[in-house]
Amino acid sequence: MDQQPQTSVNHMEPLARAFSRSVSEHPTDGGLFGPQSIVWRVHRDRSFPLAGLRSLMIQALHPLAMAGVAEHSNWREDPFGRVAATSGYILTVTYGDTAAAHKAAARVRAIHSHVNGTDPVTGLAYRAGDPSLLLWIHAAMVDSIVHVVQRYGRGLDATGADRYVWEMVRFAELVGVPAKDVPASVAALEEYIESVDLLQATPAARDSIGIVLDPPGLDDDMREQWRELGQVAAGTLPAWARSMYGYEEPDPESMEREPVRQLIGALDVAFESLPGVMEARERIELRMRRAAGKAAESG
Amino acid sequence: MTRRSSKEGIRQSRLGRIAPLARLGLRVGGRYLARSPQLIFASVERRAELRNDLALRSAEEVAEELGSMKGVLMKLGQMASYVDEDMPQTFRSAMARLQHSAPPMSPALASSVILEELGDAPERVFARWDEWPFAAASIGQVHRAITLDGRAVAVKVQYPGIARSIISDLRNVALLRRVIKAAFPGMDTGSFIEELGERLREEVDYLLEADNQEYFAQYYEGHPVIHVPRVVRELSTARVLTTELVSGERFEKVLQWDQHERDMAAETINRFVSRSLYRLHAFNGDPHPGNYLFHGRGRVTFLDFGLTKYFTDRDLAPLVEALRCLVIENDGACFRSALERAGFLQAGAPVTTETVVDRFGLFYSTVLSDAPMTITPALASAIVRRFFDAKGPLAPYSDVPRSYVILQRINLGLYAVLGSLNATANWRRIGAEMWPFVNAPASTPIGEAEARWERQRTEADKVAAAR
Repeated sequence: MDQQPQTSVNHMEPLARAFSRSVSEHPTDGGLFGPQSIVWRVHRDRSFPLAGLRSLMIQALHPLAMAGVAEHSNWREDPFGRVAATSGYILTVTYGDTAAAHKAAARVRAIHSHVNGTDPVTGLAYRAGDPSLLLWIHAAMVDSIVHVVQRYGRGLDATGADRYVWEMVRFAELVGVPAKDVPASVAALEEYIESVDLLQATPAARDSIGIVLDPPGLDDDMREQWRELGQVAAGTLPAWARSMYGYEEPDPESMEREPVRQLIGALDVAFESLPGVMEARERIELRMRRAAGKAAESG
Repeated sequence: MTRRSSKEGIRQSRLGRIAPLARLGLRVGGRYLARSPQLIFASVERRAELRNDLALRSAEEVAEELGSMKGVLMKLGQMASYVDEDMPQTFRSAMARLQHSAPPMSPALASSVILEELGDAPERVFARWDEWPFAAASIGQVHRAITLDGRAVAVKVQYPGIARSIISDLRNVALLRRVIKAAFPGMDTGSFIEELGERLREEVDYLLEADNQEYFAQYYEGHPVIHVPRVVRELSTARVLTTELVSGERFEKVLQWDQHERDMAAETINRFVSRSLYRLHAFNGDPHPGNYLFHGRGRVTFLDFGLTKYFTDRDLAPLVEALRCLVIENDGACFRSALERAGFLQAGAPVTTETVVDRFGLFYSTVLSDAPMTITPALASAIVRRFFDAKGPLAPYSDVPRSYVILQRINLGLYAVLGSLNATANWRRIGAEMWPFVNAPASTPIGEAEARWERQRTEADKVAAAR
């Protein structure tokens, strides 16, 4: 393959732009969740890239969800752009004002309405707008965020985790899942994930995750770190998911909190140094502090 | 070994020296100490860029900001701040980010560190305590205060938990190696990480920094243009360092001074570096512009001795020899063999001696001829680029041995500082005053004042010895 030599940091630029844009400088209101929500607190965690990788690995295990991605997205050609778009959506719904969140959700629903087909592996028809598929995507994401943030992020206790899952029901609702169907506690979430059939690592899933773990165009030094992060993400998978991919059990030492946080920290320094990222983080932090200060005054 | 013996020598002679020094019109201390502590306290203003609204309120927030490699990489970024010209484009922004100082600790968090380290709340340990810092430090922040016995002091307070976290991060050598390799492709990462790691481990212990600073402060006491603030031992611990508070102008301000003033400031910085190296066998390892305070007419206060490196005679001998061979003897073969002995160049490398002189000679370009010379920003960056040149003819055979890694950084940093000042002097003559194989007489007014100070020192030592 003849590839343009590219520099590693540039791959994160679309993500940096998406982040900076999603935390508007002049929001008209506190958005769907508000600066005092646990969603705000959890979604700025530095362990998010790891949670994102784990989400993708679990989401891909649903053949119909995977087929929709494999057959309809530009994912293969532009994995970084794709990740930036998805992250941008999550961040806009979280930190954007109400109008921006609804606009972003409407766009996602419109795109989903065109994504229909038949999965070549199971022979089953799929629609991206199918609430049961959307629920799977949602559950895999929320479960991954809870798992990774509890293990490698800033403090999130059991009560906080339950509260987070409950607040996130709104997220699923936005793309078209009826609220009554969305798990609203950690226990309910786990129960739901256990209950879903059709889980298998199809060739499309293996192929996609292969790209995620070793994206084209990364330079050598970045690639090593990214691969290591991928290994850690694979290590955080539940045993059933790991065995579907045929991954070995992770070396416990490499999964310890300290080295994983160091790896995340080193990557985060590169991300944070991109234009606008630190400023967006400061906006989030200041809004959260102001809201907490006001609450303390009036309460 | 050298370090201990000379240090004790200084300590013993100190008391005996005070009387003759007090008669000297040149005595430097008066300039700083004659002013009232209240005035000094008031004149050291808080820097506006510290983001108090983002203050870190708990050890957890500190860990988020500076733990997990961030503090270590920030330190690296500060050390590398003067070499960014040569860095791959993509890392320049990262370095800019790394040089951005962390937010300050909230008053309550800083106060909790004082309580833990000094046994009581700062308001009771000090007569006056400014709850917000006036300056950032790499792993802490600096508060102004007035002691119970009325001295204006600068109190450096370390972020809680940071020492443990940095030490743990430094153990992850594999990750550090990859990050550094990506940022500085031309560098031998192994020796750099080892040396940086050792220095950082020392830097988190403020008691070591207190020792370093006192070593310099005692030696330079009474010096006409070089000032090192004294340490207040009884208010210093491993996490809190209390020193005399000094007010002066920052580097950015000096850049607007007239060229004559800038030349004098540059001369003093240059003298401090070579005197410390050749006489004290010690190097204050952080030639960051933020570590100087300027008082005009060449007077400079040197701050931050966390990154200090001591050299043995054996470390220095081949460097002194290389300098002598090239600058005095103009003997290429002798120069080359000294570099080989020091470990900078592999013995028997298939390159001509002319190439060696040509490539390495650039590092000596300011002292090659006996004439005034301007260190321009262009010259400074040419030197830095040469140092990091991974493609030059000598690259496969040259290396920086570990004991000189810090020395090299300082030299590069020094050139960057002198280059920003666009300073002119006869650097050769100034250097020759200090070179052990020359010991030339004073060549400038500052040099003459320095020589008088040195004679007073020697006499004071003799008086002390006679007693």
